Amino acid sequence: MGRHYLAIEQAYRDGTPTAWATSGTSVEMLYTFDVQPILPENAATISAAQKVSKKYIESAEDLGFSYDLCSYFKTNVGAMLNNAPIDLGGIKPPTFMVAADVICDTHVKWFQVQSQRYKVPLYIIDVPHVTSNTTNKQKEYYQSYVEEQMLELMDWISEITKKEYNEEKSREVITNSYELSEYWIKIFELRKTIPCPVSTKDTFGGIFPLFTMPGLKEPIRVFKKMYQETQERVDNGIGALENEQFRLLFSGIPFWYNLKFFGILEQWGAIIVFEPYTYSFGKFLDPSMSKEYIINNPIKAMAKIMLSFWYIYDLETRVREFKRVIKEWKIDGLILHNNLSCRPNSCGLYDLKQRLMEEEGIPSLVIESDMNDPRKMNEEQLKNKLESFMEILQKSKKR
Amino acid sequence: MAYKIGYIDPSFNTPEELIMAANLIPYRIFGDPTIDLMDANKFVPPNHCFWARNCLQRGLNGLDKEIKGIIITHACDCSNREYDIWFEHVSYDFYYYLNAPLKRDKLSLKFFINDLKELKFQLEEHFGVEITDKKLYEAINLTNEIRKLLKKISEYRNKGLLLGSEFHAIIKNAYKSDKKDVLHNLKEKLKKLEIKEPLPYVDGSKKRILLTGSILDDTEILKYLESLGFEIITDDLCIGTRYFHNKIEITGDPIKDIANFHLSKPPYSTEHPSSGRFDFIKGLAKKYQVQGVICLVQKFCEPLLYEYPFFRDSFKEMGMPFIFLEKEYKRDSYNQLTTKFEAFKEILGGVKK
Repeated sequence: MGRHYLAIEQAYRDGTPTAWATSGTSVEMLYTFDVQPILPENAATISAAQKVSKKYIESAEDLGFSYDLCSYFKTNVGAMLNNAPIDLGGIKPPTFMVAADVICDTHVKWFQVQSQRYKVPLYIIDVPHVTSNTTNKQKEYYQSYVEEQMLELMDWISEITKKEYNEEKSREVITNSYELSEYWIKIFELRKTIPCPVSTKDTFGGIFPLFTMPGLKEPIRVFKKMYQETQERVDNGIGALENEQFRLLFSGIPFWYNLKFFGILEQWGAIIVFEPYTYSFGKFLDPSMSKEYIINNPIKAMAKIMLSFWYIYDLETRVREFKRVIKEWKIDGLILHNNLSCRPNSCGLYDLKQRLMEEEGIPSLVIESDMNDPRKMNEEQLKNKLESFMEILQKSKKR
Repeated sequence: MAYKIGYIDPSFNTPEELIMAANLIPYRIFGDPTIDLMDANKFVPPNHCFWARNCLQRGLNGLDKEIKGIIITHACDCSNREYDIWFEHVSYDFYYYLNAPLKRDKLSLKFFINDLKELKFQLEEHFGVEITDKKLYEAINLTNEIRKLLKKISEYRNKGLLLGSEFHAIIKNAYKSDKKDVLHNLKEKLKKLEIKEPLPYVDGSKKRILLTGSILDDTEILKYLESLGFEIITDDLCIGTRYFHNKIEITGDPIKDIANFHLSKPPYSTEHPSSGRFDFIKGLAKKYQVQGVICLVQKFCEPLLYEYPFFRDSFKEMGMPFIFLEKEYKRDSYNQLTTKFEAFKEILGGVKK
């Protein structure tokens, strides 16, 4: 990730185009035009890890932004107001911005606010929402709509950067992105092994190249190495946890300011072996997106990624996918994060929990906290809840 | 008996004419701020839009028997995620999620036309009807006539002959009743207003305000504002001006005309770009020479919360007194706002009409 931030600094020094993008938008399109992507969400997680997100969030609230709004957004607003350095999550106004409503409407409002404040051009990709009874026929015209916007975005970037679209470059970028994701998904496949070779510490820490650097060669080498090391661990029967007793799934964005909290699980011999959040950035999850398809249809593929993203899953698909994961990754229990900053993600957790209990007999624990705002995490309460949950798991496993 | 299609729309993008042309009555579902939300709070976390949870509770409690299907129209995050919860827990044979686009351009118009055509197809299939262009234009002519009358009637707020709360109740009725009855009632209302003398309450002590915000569908909140001495002269609400500000332009392609109508309305906070919403409010405030702007927002209504600093600064620059308050969707909580409104009224006291 150091390389990514060095590249950003270099772009500003050279005066080459930069763009802010929300996660879920097509970063590949930016790399196609040699535009340096900057993901404010990623920068916000750095602020949290460096324990300064609270300060920035409060700066944004002083400006009038509500306590209830997204903590990534407020961290970004506050970091800009405080001229935060890059190692504390500071970023600068870009040449232009691209946002999409694929994950949430917050992304759109966030970039509307910041593009207005810093007088920077903004392009919005409108991604239709898939629901429990959306038909294939509907999905077809949803796909066309996103594709047409991608073509429009292409022209828009071309005009700003004064650079022509290059199909060859586009193929190269999408292929790199595909290969990066391929290694990520392979690592996840290896996590099916008992004992699990990779812990959540590695996946939460390793995910960032997937949404900041898809399209480049360098992260592929890193991911390949990570994959090879994981394979070695599997071959030698080495688990990330010495005495693995329970295999858990953690759903939602973690609390970046307190990742060490997950260490508490070790005392019960519990390990998180799957996170839908990190898995979803494997992107090319739609089975129709073969390598051949994406090489021949790079723009279509960029559109398709947005419409097959885990975050867009309707309740029915989410339940089905969770069931598959529970079976294949041999999950004993779920921890579902009701993230106070991410309403779309937390909506439907109750149904998910109930259905998985009733249909699969898998218990879930819903915890309430926030991804970037430490004021909204009650550590003691979480510990108590986890303790009770682990007791339930211990009892159910003995039976 | 004519059946109804209930629809939930955090903005106003639902094609009522399409439903009417299927021989059904479009029935906008409003919240009920007097009910308890126990079940809805279970399905949707309590930090989500109060109004959306309230509507869900209404669905869980059971809606009118005449309602034979549900349409939920996209405007914000609360609509698409909660659609699945409705689909899972509130039993209807007909459900449609309408993806009203975020943007207002050629591509989004094309997409919206496709989605409206699909809705037309599904209504025809499910209810065994044929939605012809002729029926669509009959419906369009009817709603256009209703909009024209509402526009005329709305002006009587500015003449001191109609309370903002009375007008609000009229719009609510227009949203949920058979449009033929609505047309008849509006004609009658207009006749009465045309011969009405000014009301005695127009004594100059009332403060002329523009009301804006998100999903203000409880007429009691307008009555409450009036009880505090505010006179609602105009608004930029979906249950208000947005409903009748534009008319459907007829070009020969009814579905396209309906789509065009919705995408040409004044911008709303859930759309892109949304900064034009301020310009629209500013225009209304100037036209009706209001003394202040009240923005009442449902608690957790994110699109509006993001815009608050921009609204605050822009109104300040304009020299227009402005108050922005979040409220719970519970009628017995309105009085908690009294001190803030009284302070705002005092500010308006110093502003000349």
